[in-house]
Amino acid sequence: MLNQSRPPLRAAGALIGFALALAAGLSVTGTALAAQAQRVVTIGGAVTEIAYALGQQDRIVGVDATSFFPADATEKPNVGYMRALSPEGVLALRPDLILAVEGSGPPGAVDILKSASVPFVTVPEGRTPEGIDRKIERVADALGVPEAGRDLAARVHDDLAAVLDKTRGVSARRRVLFVMALTDGRPMGAGQDTAADAVIRLAGAENALQGVSGYKPVSPEAIAATAPDIVLAMRRSDGVELDPDQLFATPALKFTPAARDRALVVMDGLYLLGFGPRTASAVRDLAARLYPDLDLPGGHASR
Amino acid sequence: MRAADPALTLPGGVAAGDRRTVARTFVGLLALLLAATILLSAAVGPAGFGFDVLRPLFAGDTAADANALILWEIRLPRTLLGVMVGGSLAIAGALMQGLFRNPLADPGLIGISSGSALGAVTMIVLGAGPLAPVALALSIYALPTAAFVGGLSVTILLYAIATREGRTSVATMLLAGIALAAISAAGTGLLIFGSDDQQLREITFWSLGSLGGATWTKVATLAPVLLAATLVVPLLSRGLNALLLGQAEAFHLGVPVQMVKRTVIVVAAALTGAAVAFTGVIGFVGIVAPHLLRLAIGPDHRYLLPGSALLGGIVMVAADMVARTVVAPAELPIGIVAAAMGAPFFLWILLRQRGVVDL
Amino acid sequence: MRDAAATVAPLIEARGVSVRYGPHTVLTPTDLTIGAGATTVIVGPNGAGKTTLMRALTGELAPSSGAVLFDGADIATLSAATLARRRAVLPQATRLSFPFTVHEVVRLGCPAGRDDSARIAALLERVDLAGFGHRYYQQLSGGEQQRVQLARVLAQLDIGRDGAGEGDLPRALFLDEPTSSLDIRHQIAVLEIARTYAAAGWAVLAILHDLNMAAMFADRILVVDRGRVVADGRPAAVITAELVSRVFGVNADIGARDGIPYVLPPRPAGLPDGRI
Repeated sequence: MLNQSRPPLRAAGALIGFALALAAGLSVTGTALAAQAQRVVTIGGAVTEIAYALGQQDRIVGVDATSFFPADATEKPNVGYMRALSPEGVLALRPDLILAVEGSGPPGAVDILKSASVPFVTVPEGRTPEGIDRKIERVADALGVPEAGRDLAARVHDDLAAVLDKTRGVSARRRVLFVMALTDGRPMGAGQDTAADAVIRLAGAENALQGVSGYKPVSPEAIAATAPDIVLAMRRSDGVELDPDQLFATPALKFTPAARDRALVVMDGLYLLGFGPRTASAVRDLAARLYPDLDLPGGHASR
Repeated sequence: MRAADPALTLPGGVAAGDRRTVARTFVGLLALLLAATILLSAAVGPAGFGFDVLRPLFAGDTAADANALILWEIRLPRTLLGVMVGGSLAIAGALMQGLFRNPLADPGLIGISSGSALGAVTMIVLGAGPLAPVALALSIYALPTAAFVGGLSVTILLYAIATREGRTSVATMLLAGIALAAISAAGTGLLIFGSDDQQLREITFWSLGSLGGATWTKVATLAPVLLAATLVVPLLSRGLNALLLGQAEAFHLGVPVQMVKRTVIVVAAALTGAAVAFTGVIGFVGIVAPHLLRLAIGPDHRYLLPGSALLGGIVMVAADMVARTVVAPAELPIGIVAAAMGAPFFLWILLRQRGVVDL
Repeated sequence: MRDAAATVAPLIEARGVSVRYGPHTVLTPTDLTIGAGATTVIVGPNGAGKTTLMRALTGELAPSSGAVLFDGADIATLSAATLARRRAVLPQATRLSFPFTVHEVVRLGCPAGRDDSARIAALLERVDLAGFGHRYYQQLSGGEQQRVQLARVLAQLDIGRDGAGEGDLPRALFLDEPTSSLDIRHQIAVLEIARTYAAAGWAVLAILHDLNMAAMFADRILVVDRGRVVADGRPAAVITAELVSRVFGVNADIGARDGIPYVLPPRPAGLPDGRI
């Protein structure tokens, strides 16, 4: 009797043990595989930048349409706009790792990509110094170069901290209005919870637009009443930017201090708002334009 | 012979079914209401409420005082543009309803709205690339011009399709309009597909309409169009009244039917095209203003057309006041406000009038 | 005894007028004259081309060949406004999608810029709709709506009475099945109104389905069959058993009262003799 019940129990135990070992082995192998991935698709301008900064560009086989930097990245196969991905397009590159910034979409496409047997790593968006650190570390871990990641993160963190040291001490904060677009004389501004708002505050200035969340069309009257000192705008990847003549001629801005001084600062979009490896430099450049007399560290060429 | 109530056999007046006096009075009241609304709009906004804001207006003072600047440079042009756009859309709506003999017609039926949207989206998306030289040359007029050209092109195409040997078939216009609207929408969709985040935002908000870009230049540009229309439109009143009986009946009454149809289409297209070009697509006003007015004073175009213009202006200015104060400093697209305010009210009116208006 | 076509020069003349829709000929080339001061009625089976003929005569339809003359002038050269001063057309049925009052519908027939309230009230009384001015047209019965349209049409032509406009020049009144929705009392009333205007010197041309009404009220009957006028003359001469059988395919009994024929339809088949 006893002899008959043992073999099944032992077989079951062996099976379970084997399954566990296999799973453990697979996950280790999985991570190891991901870390050794040779065909990486990076989605998100900052993610691509970080991968290049880590020296891993040769492993990248595809980028998204917002990856404008460095220039080499635009030569890689393009899988489309990060919020309008096509699963088939991405998978056609036969990737063995997908690195996508938070906010990639549409959600349906992301689900499909996640369920395909390709490791999919979501890189959290971050608009603070700590957030940038996390971004860099997540990308570095995924690519199997954690050491390089920590070095890069530390460098960026230190650079940024040096700038913030100076900008935090500014007493007379300038009021900046970020204008995303000027459609037919109707300005679209950046309120709170935007990358523009975050970078303005990091540069030691104040967002002239308060009480609005996100990028929204703003009432011309409200802009006139809030009297911004400076207008900040981004230059698109194709070189197009706001025309200061048009900008300062609209009733909304015509009588603001910004118009009086023709104070318009235009910076490259990804550089300014990407929150990636160049952000320290971007904040420094912005602060330099806002506060020319401020003694800022470093002397990076402004873009 | 039926026994008739003596009071009802009076030759004139409302009792006999003659609503002209009522209509005239109503239109007069609307004019007063419009004036009041304009004053109110000048006094209200995210930068401050109250009638002391209006003082520069009456003192004729264009000083560099902040309030005066806001009043003269922002609120007044915006209010006036609102009046003109609302009036234009309402007249165009009334004209369309007369032309198609249907109280549900609106200016969009002749393809203006979808064509304008196509033009505007084209400029927004391609104005950075292939159309950059054009955008540069036209500067602040680039977007309105593109929208106007788009709307007009579709209308001309539609008219050409529906007209043979000098006779314009209204039914063909309607059906072809549906087809052209679909084609425009497809084109617009393709452009949207090729656009980025920023352009998408621009497109979305343009499509919902706004008076935020109002300047005195725009007011001065739209004014002649509206003025020309107000001179031509009264001449169409009798013809449109007769057309309501039917095209053959209008002909028998001595109306030059084809010419009236042509003129109606041209005027409606010009008014709508100009309005949409400057403010984006604002729906609802074109259908509702004439309809409400008809319920009050009857379908006689001699009073309906000017009345619609006034009512359209009032609705637009009122909606704009809400649009720019309710989520200040941000702005709601005015098309949404007009629909949200007006649609429930309109439904209520319809439910009460179910017996009279028969479609 | 009424004298058929015993009046003045023809007001309306058709010369070789035909109407074709593609390969299909609806009206063969027709010569016709309609004189003022008489009531002419067109009868014929469904689809014979009666309405087409009337449309060509009113100017609504451009003929495929030939010409229509109104008081000597080719109507193709006359503007709609000019024609409207001398002729009016009562349509078969008019549906309105808008809330007009009866008064406003009748006023559509009046020229602009005058106060015609008294005249409108008088015309409404004439068509037995006194006091209906304030009612909504859409809420009336079919017959009432038809009478409102008649008032409107009369208003259009009635100008001469006031001494303005074309004075006493003869006018033409076209009626396309004016009695289709009316009860017998109102059918008679409307046709009597028409005859009154004919007696005053207008040309009245009506399409009727009812052969008896046609015979009673017409001075002259035109029978149209398959695109051609097959009979033209006084009722007594035209309404015969032979014609009714040939054109309408019905074996009716024809009687006469005071020289005016009447048509008795044959007894329906299958019913017992006499009683129902």
